[in-house]
Amino acid sequence: MEHIVFGIGITALTGALATVAGSAEDTESNIGSQGDPNSQVQLAPQMGFLHRIFNKAVAGEPPAYGLWCALGAGLAWAFMAMQVNAILAIVLGCILAVFVQGVYATTAYLGRTASLAKFGQPVYVDIIKSMTTVTMAHAFIAIFCTVALCQLINGALGHPFPLPLLALIWGVALGAAGSATGNPYYGKERQYQNQKFGAGVPISASGNIVRYAEAGERNSIDNGFFTHKIGGSASGVCFGLIVFLELWRTILFERIYAGWGAIAVGVLMILIFTVIDRYIEVWARKNYGPYTVAKEADA
Amino acid sequence: MSAVAAKPTAGGAVNPAAMAVGVVMLIIILGLTYTISPGMGVMALIGIVIGGVMIGFGTHFVPVGGAPAAMGQAPGIATGVAMLAAGAGLAGLFGGAWAAELGIVVAVVTGGIGGGLMMAITCMMVNFVYVFGMGIPAASGKVLHDPITGDSQAEYKSQGTEGHGLPFVSFVGGVIGGILAGAGGTLIYIELLGLYEATFPTLMSATPAQVLPVAVSVAGMFAVALFLVNAVLTAYNITGTIEGPHDPKFKRWPRAIVASAVASALCGFVAILIVAI
Amino acid sequence: MSVKIEVIAGGVPHDKIMIAGLVSTLVCIYLTYLNAFTNTEVFSFFGGLAVVAALIWGSHTIKVLCSYGIGTGVPSAGMIAFGSGVIAMLLATKFGMLAPIVAVVLAAVIGLILGYVSNNILNMKIPAMVQALTEMAVVGALTVMGFAAMITGGFTFTGLTTSTASFLGFPITSYANSFLGGGLIAVAFLLGAIAIQHPFNACLGPGWKQDRMLMLTAECGFLSMIVAAVMSFALISAGSALISLLVAIIGWAYTYSQFFEMSKRDAAAWLDSKPIPDTEGQ
Repeated sequence: MEHIVFGIGITALTGALATVAGSAEDTESNIGSQGDPNSQVQLAPQMGFLHRIFNKAVAGEPPAYGLWCALGAGLAWAFMAMQVNAILAIVLGCILAVFVQGVYATTAYLGRTASLAKFGQPVYVDIIKSMTTVTMAHAFIAIFCTVALCQLINGALGHPFPLPLLALIWGVALGAAGSATGNPYYGKERQYQNQKFGAGVPISASGNIVRYAEAGERNSIDNGFFTHKIGGSASGVCFGLIVFLELWRTILFERIYAGWGAIAVGVLMILIFTVIDRYIEVWARKNYGPYTVAKEADA
Repeated sequence: MSAVAAKPTAGGAVNPAAMAVGVVMLIIILGLTYTISPGMGVMALIGIVIGGVMIGFGTHFVPVGGAPAAMGQAPGIATGVAMLAAGAGLAGLFGGAWAAELGIVVAVVTGGIGGGLMMAITCMMVNFVYVFGMGIPAASGKVLHDPITGDSQAEYKSQGTEGHGLPFVSFVGGVIGGILAGAGGTLIYIELLGLYEATFPTLMSATPAQVLPVAVSVAGMFAVALFLVNAVLTAYNITGTIEGPHDPKFKRWPRAIVASAVASALCGFVAILIVAI
Repeated sequence: MSVKIEVIAGGVPHDKIMIAGLVSTLVCIYLTYLNAFTNTEVFSFFGGLAVVAALIWGSHTIKVLCSYGIGTGVPSAGMIAFGSGVIAMLLATKFGMLAPIVAVVLAAVIGLILGYVSNNILNMKIPAMVQALTEMAVVGALTVMGFAAMITGGFTFTGLTTSTASFLGFPITSYANSFLGGGLIAVAFLLGAIAIQHPFNACLGPGWKQDRMLMLTAECGFLSMIVAAVMSFALISAGSALISLLVAIIGWAYTYSQFFEMSKRDAAAWLDSKPIPDTEGQ
């Protein structure tokens, strides 16, 4: 019993860490225009819309976060093997991983922007200086939380995988959850604030991203500020739910019927999420209504 | 100063000769494995091939829209197909590896449910953001009616786009894809772990308890590597984006099955050679 | 509306980069074998140099392949390269002294078959596919082997699965505290997989320049070498790890500043705290 109570406590803690990680990850990638919305930041100068948005295309978010988290964990593992205290080791490992992230971010911005010289897009040194540090700060939070939750899973809950491999797995999952949930909100809602609300961006408008702010010119910190409110929080909830429910069902129900208990609970939760999803979909159809009158013959 | 030399011409056509060559390669690799390690090796390889095929087939179900999805221009999840499948499958592998000592059936099912749960939460949150964050209902661009619910799609598509969000069929596809990917990844891991646990002690002349971390780590790494190879091959097959099981591109799956089987057999064969020679 | 990738001919031809990359990688990996001859670990840093050489070759291969527009992102190419490479590399470590050669041959075979599978069975019909996947599998195998040699001081299977630590004066063999047992191979895998695709991914566009991209590759390689050197403190002697770290930092600082210079050279303008220029045509 005590064992289960301990497990539940650790599970709650990992869930909380994962929520913070997901939120920080999405904000970081939105400030850096990483992931799929990057295509628009890259396209804009080619359509004649020069901008002052940070354009750091390191890779898709899942592989990039797979690396940052695995690297933080690998370094933390190495420091722990050198008899450094675990918390200090994780902090040191994450600092070095963030250093790598920052260097990758600057080279990605410089490389992409220099290759757009033909369209007159200038390199802004102040963007490198101010945005990189902000993304590094958010990345540190995301990496630290992920590595810490992997250390808890490995050390306290006894998962067989070594720390770096666990961090690779959860880093990729973090990037996948964060990019899936957060990208549309940044890509549609923020980059195309000038387009109609409640509708997708027409393909003909591609590249015409918003470049001016309430006062002056929009920069990427404004984007992080905006998207954090819904996209970032939703990404945090998404990754938090994934980690928490995965651990929770295993810790509480794995012992029932030799593992089948946890499976049954998992199936039940998938069904619950299916019902919620269907409810959201129907709610939207009913309340927002169709864009055009139904035409059955439309191909 | 040549521009793009050729656009990808990957169509839906099946190349029967190449498929036959693929099947022959598969049989040759199985035969080779039988000559080196009949019994355990062959069993492990068959498990790896089944796991790889499950990953390859499962990735077809995962609704991914790529860059246009991030602008609400195309339905699906706004990220890369290979990496989203990897995210779900690895989350499943995490659960499956944890349940490894409960037996292969429980572990594989646990892995599948883990992947399915990850995709269910992610797909639900995607629709949540589309509907409550951006006020956009879900609509498919490829079909007029949702094959599962029968909801009409065309009039919910906003002007100038190919659709947006995740219609119910895409949600179901995502969950099925997650389940198959998670189960396949776990199956590969369990097969390799069993093989390595049995052979590493003699190979490295150490006790089973001592080599366990190495066996777990190598089997886990290989499961991840095989996962990525299969997921990327499938991504090539569907040229990056797919809406789910109702998408016409879904019909290309026979090619991916053969491709995944050959690739997994090849990589699995090499992984088995480590302990067989 | 994805970004249109344009190819600019010129610069050093790909075959030359490939041969130079293969030879220098193999030479560098073999130089780490001096460790075994001299019974020290000071030559481990050659493993890191092998990584840099292999990555330069690999990133150019990615450029050749991705110029065709493979339908999915550039990063996936790095993933398949390392996914197939890491398996070949681990089998090769069983061959002792011959390991690097075996890794090349084995990875080439795997890459060749994967190339055939994608091009013919999956009907991709991209002319460069078979050769590119073959090369990338070799690069993947050699890069992971380079990292392994750098972090552990050798590239034999025993060396990768064990480490000796002294506990209260007695040497004890540990399996969990090793390159494979500790899962450091996962870090090496991703360090390489991101470093191989990043240069082309970051430099693509109409103003792509070969020298700038290759300089960025060298920068990514040395950057990965810095963190690998920090990790190697856990498995090899502090002095040897320090040498690796110094070599890596010097190489990184040089390539990073050179990359800044080249970006400055190629950029339309280099501005600090300036507004958007008024030259736009709308």
